Amino acid sequence: MATLVLDNGAYTAKIGYSHEKVSVIPNCQFRSKTARLKTFTANQIDEVKDPSGLFYILPFQKGYLVNWDVQRKVWDQLFGREMYKVDFADTSILITEPYFNFTSIQESMNEILFEEYQFQAALRINAGSLSAHKYFQDNSSELCCIVVDSGYSFTHIVPYCRGKKMKDGICRINVGGKLLTNHLKEIISYRQLHVMDETHVINQVKEDVCYVSQDFYKDMEIAKLKGEDNTVMRDYVLPDFSTIKKGFCKPREEMNFSGKYKTGEQILCLSNERFAVPETVFHPSDIGIQEMGIPEAIVNSVQNLPDEMQPHFFKNIVLTGGNTLFPGFRDRVFKDVRSLTPTDYEVSVVQPKNPVSYSWEGGKLLSDNPDFDEMVVTREDYEENGHCICEEKFDI
Amino acid sequence: MVEKKTSARSQEANQRRILDRATRQRRLNRQLEALEKDNFQDDPHANLPQLVKRLPQFDDRHESSKKRKKTRGDHFKLRFRKNFQALLEEQNLSVSEGPNYLTACAPPSKLPQRPFCAVCGFPSNYTCVSCGARYCCVKCLGTHQETRCLKWTV
Repeated sequence: MATLVLDNGAYTAKIGYSHEKVSVIPNCQFRSKTARLKTFTANQIDEVKDPSGLFYILPFQKGYLVNWDVQRKVWDQLFGREMYKVDFADTSILITEPYFNFTSIQESMNEILFEEYQFQAALRINAGSLSAHKYFQDNSSELCCIVVDSGYSFTHIVPYCRGKKMKDGICRINVGGKLLTNHLKEIISYRQLHVMDETHVINQVKEDVCYVSQDFYKDMEIAKLKGEDNTVMRDYVLPDFSTIKKGFCKPREEMNFSGKYKTGEQILCLSNERFAVPETVFHPSDIGIQEMGIPEAIVNSVQNLPDEMQPHFFKNIVLTGGNTLFPGFRDRVFKDVRSLTPTDYEVSVVQPKNPVSYSWEGGKLLSDNPDFDEMVVTREDYEENGHCICEEKFDI
Repeated sequence: MVEKKTSARSQEANQRRILDRATRQRRLNRQLEALEKDNFQDDPHANLPQLVKRLPQFDDRHESSKKRKKTRGDHFKLRFRKNFQALLEEQNLSVSEGPNYLTACAPPSKLPQRPFCAVCGFPSNYTCVSCGARYCCVKCLGTHQETRCLKWTV
């Protein structure tokens, strides 16, 4: 009996059988201005010839699954003939959900998994719990850890002790990759070029060019300088989808500091946006969101826990989620948390090699666990007892 | 006669419209909500005439769809298409005790807010009198007054 591990995120779905490798696939549908009549689902984005002005249809809203039509179409594609060819009667599924997921969504998920797709067994779990499971497997001497899951829709800071999440300590910051991309689109549209429609392109710009600064005000001073002294400034060549398929950042040697470029490419000149945009994760108040940033929220969350456990949490901070891939993220979190905690506590921040699929790896480990069969709810159980057995067994 | 170059600051006080704090807060909230949007353009398929009703799908889905139990039409539409706000209200969190979605939200920061110029992005020290936007220097104020001040809403 095979186990399919699916980390169902708001931006990408990380899916794979537990004995195989993971694939990261966009969890949405796309529509293009040029290809009328066709809606592209999930991995079909590679077939889109003209990704300019790509229209996204996401099943998630604010991090919670609200649009089941779109989600089922994506799942049909993932479970179908072209991709994973799932044999439902012989497969159990391990699927992730956001923290504090609403009961109606949980019930809909049960219905869809058991009644429509007819999986043999299912386990619904938080993505951070899988990350914590993997962390405890790799570091068996540690009892507590804090998982910082910074994704597309929001960032959650969750303390785990002995494998169980501590609900009182869960902290949610409503800043995620989507907000950063939209903010970057707004600033570029005001200062340089109208790009409000180009989510896909600007997302690529954000991933290529943005970084987290270690010393914010110093970088600001450097960004104010002109010409060659401004080491922060970069020129980004936008794709035009005919000659240049994918945008790229010009290396410093080719940059023309005085005067304009002669070639016909569209160039974005970015200086303080490079580090001011990811700074929003550390200080959401910069754009007007009245919430704490990640380092403050970590310290706040730990301080609400019993005193004797606090040092153990600070020693095991794990960064997961795609939004942590900015260069310099880990060092900056360490620096800020270190300056906010007493000197006698040891602070250690760990970022796995692949933060995006870390939860999926945890799911893979969990499915190999001998207790896995106790934790799942089989289809027979569900048909006898309905939603209440799922509510009892799954701790969401 | 040499034309006098009018500076932005020489606008007469009674010609300027000044927004009060509540309006400024409302504009800010609308800007923040706009940051949550998935798309800023309209659906490219929205206005297409429904010429092609249902293309016959020439794949062997017919066999597999017979095996699947379809959930009933109306029940489906009601249950599975609510938006986020409706689901949140349904959850009725204000009466429940213990940690939940609303209590998990991060509290406001203890550090002071750092203002940035709306035009260039560098730290700002001054506020536009009319609309409350921040600027860092007189040049940015000029740009702001010409392009955005009270001229642009989300």
